[in-house]
Amino acid sequence: MNAQLDNPPETAVLELPPEVVKLAIKDLSFFYGQKQALFDVSVSFAANAVTALIGPSGCGKSTLLRVLNRMYSLYPGQRAQGQVLLDGEDMLSPRVDVATLRARVGMVFQKPTPFPMSIFDNVAYGVKLYEKLSKAEMANRVEDSLRRAALWDEVKDKLKESGLSLSGGQQQRLCVARGIAVKPEVLLLDEPASALDPISTARLEETIAELKRDYTIVIVTHNMGQAARLSDHTGFMYLGKLIEFGETEQLFTNPVTTRARDYITGRFG
Amino acid sequence: MTAVIGAPRLSRRIGEGAFLTFCWLATGIAILALAAILWSLLSQGIGGLDLDIFTKSTPAPGSEGGLLNAILGSLMMCIVAMIGAVFIGVLAGTWLSEFARDSQYGKVIRFLNDVLLSAPSILIGLFIYEILVAPLGGFSGLAGSVALALIAAPVITRTTEDVLRLQPIALREASVALGAPVWSTILTVIWKAAQGGMLTGALLAFARISGETAPLLFTALNNQFLSLDMTKPTANLPVVIFNFALSAYDDWRRLAWAGALLIAATVLTVTIVARILAREPRRS
Repeated sequence: MNAQLDNPPETAVLELPPEVVKLAIKDLSFFYGQKQALFDVSVSFAANAVTALIGPSGCGKSTLLRVLNRMYSLYPGQRAQGQVLLDGEDMLSPRVDVATLRARVGMVFQKPTPFPMSIFDNVAYGVKLYEKLSKAEMANRVEDSLRRAALWDEVKDKLKESGLSLSGGQQQRLCVARGIAVKPEVLLLDEPASALDPISTARLEETIAELKRDYTIVIVTHNMGQAARLSDHTGFMYLGKLIEFGETEQLFTNPVTTRARDYITGRFG
Repeated sequence: MTAVIGAPRLSRRIGEGAFLTFCWLATGIAILALAAILWSLLSQGIGGLDLDIFTKSTPAPGSEGGLLNAILGSLMMCIVAMIGAVFIGVLAGTWLSEFARDSQYGKVIRFLNDVLLSAPSILIGLFIYEILVAPLGGFSGLAGSVALALIAAPVITRTTEDVLRLQPIALREASVALGAPVWSTILTVIWKAAQGGMLTGALLAFARISGETAPLLFTALNNQFLSLDMTKPTANLPVVIFNFALSAYDDWRRLAWAGALLIAATVLTVTIVARILAREPRRS
């Protein structure tokens, strides 16, 4: 059927042309104390594109995401080795200020995490950390962010109400708005729809598809349909290694490695 | 088939019935005791509750008087104690929850705090007597405040740590992911999310110290007269109740009942408010 079937490679990682690369990971290993969770991962994420990371639970895809904004540095005992190059600059270098990094690389979590404050303040919170804006400028920024997150029409009359009063799907879009309000370059999404119902998921996916015009997006998802619908590139991970990375269509219709093929056809995972 | 299922069901029902009965019985006894206390307080104390209580100071036997000096003294000492205890308790609880959650040092401090939490209050009174009252040569309202703060602080430390631990890790990470430093995450996000619970803890600590007698006997002592000087012996409700209730004079005993009712009403109100706040910690 296919020549590759006779002698499939262990791993197959597509190299993107350097001019489209926004974020590049080089030989990244990660450790939770003694336990190694990532093994020499090298992969690039294209600018203004959505890259999906898929793989069975515990394969390291969320861990990989948490390295990209150095979230792991909150926890003593967790450490990363290798390079994460954002526009060619190594973000894991201790010289890079972690707050600046996080302003450039935003993150949305699995469960909606609105802060216990008003909808307006939720979005303004991050902005205030970096910029001194006038009231009018801040109002503009909040509106713009909520519009981009496709939430404005639903909340424009109740910006003073608590962010916790929103539905789960709205809360998650509020978190997206909060993340993009600080004008990041990269947006990391860690299973952002896993706690949402199908309708909210569809709305969030539309939002993500819109956002890719301005941002580089990396999304971790358990939902393969979501990865196929949303992403331009997909990486398949297994046991802490990046097994296959390529164009989403190619990876879903004609995976090169046996592991990716087995996972995508549902033989395990 | 039905017989097999039916047989254990009967014994289960008996077991369940017996268990439920005991639960009801135990609850009933507890409620009955509380009702009896409240009833005796109400029936004996309500007669003494008049305007004089709030406008006149404690009298000599046989003359007219109220509890003004004791009420004011208690309020002053409790407020000063709470300011100190909230300051120490909130910061200590925050440290235990946010910075020392799994460290050995944190575990030791947590254990010691729990020991202090259950220390008999008379010991705390004696301790303050030894380190403040005796060396400085006199009973004072401030010494009373320190003793009360020492009782309230561990309560606040504990409740603060508990409610902060309840806040999801994801909330902390979400704030940090925006680039916020840890201290501002704690101040603006975590404390805000936990404010209902933290306030509840403070109110419960207040309720706890507002009726403490033993530590005040060794520290603030008492004062027959109205005095706002906290460096001097200071009147307070618990000690006045203690002295008056044991006295031979009817009017003193009447005042003791009124004072007891006053404290009980305060504690009850504060506890109910704390309950309401604890129930709705999330709406801002």
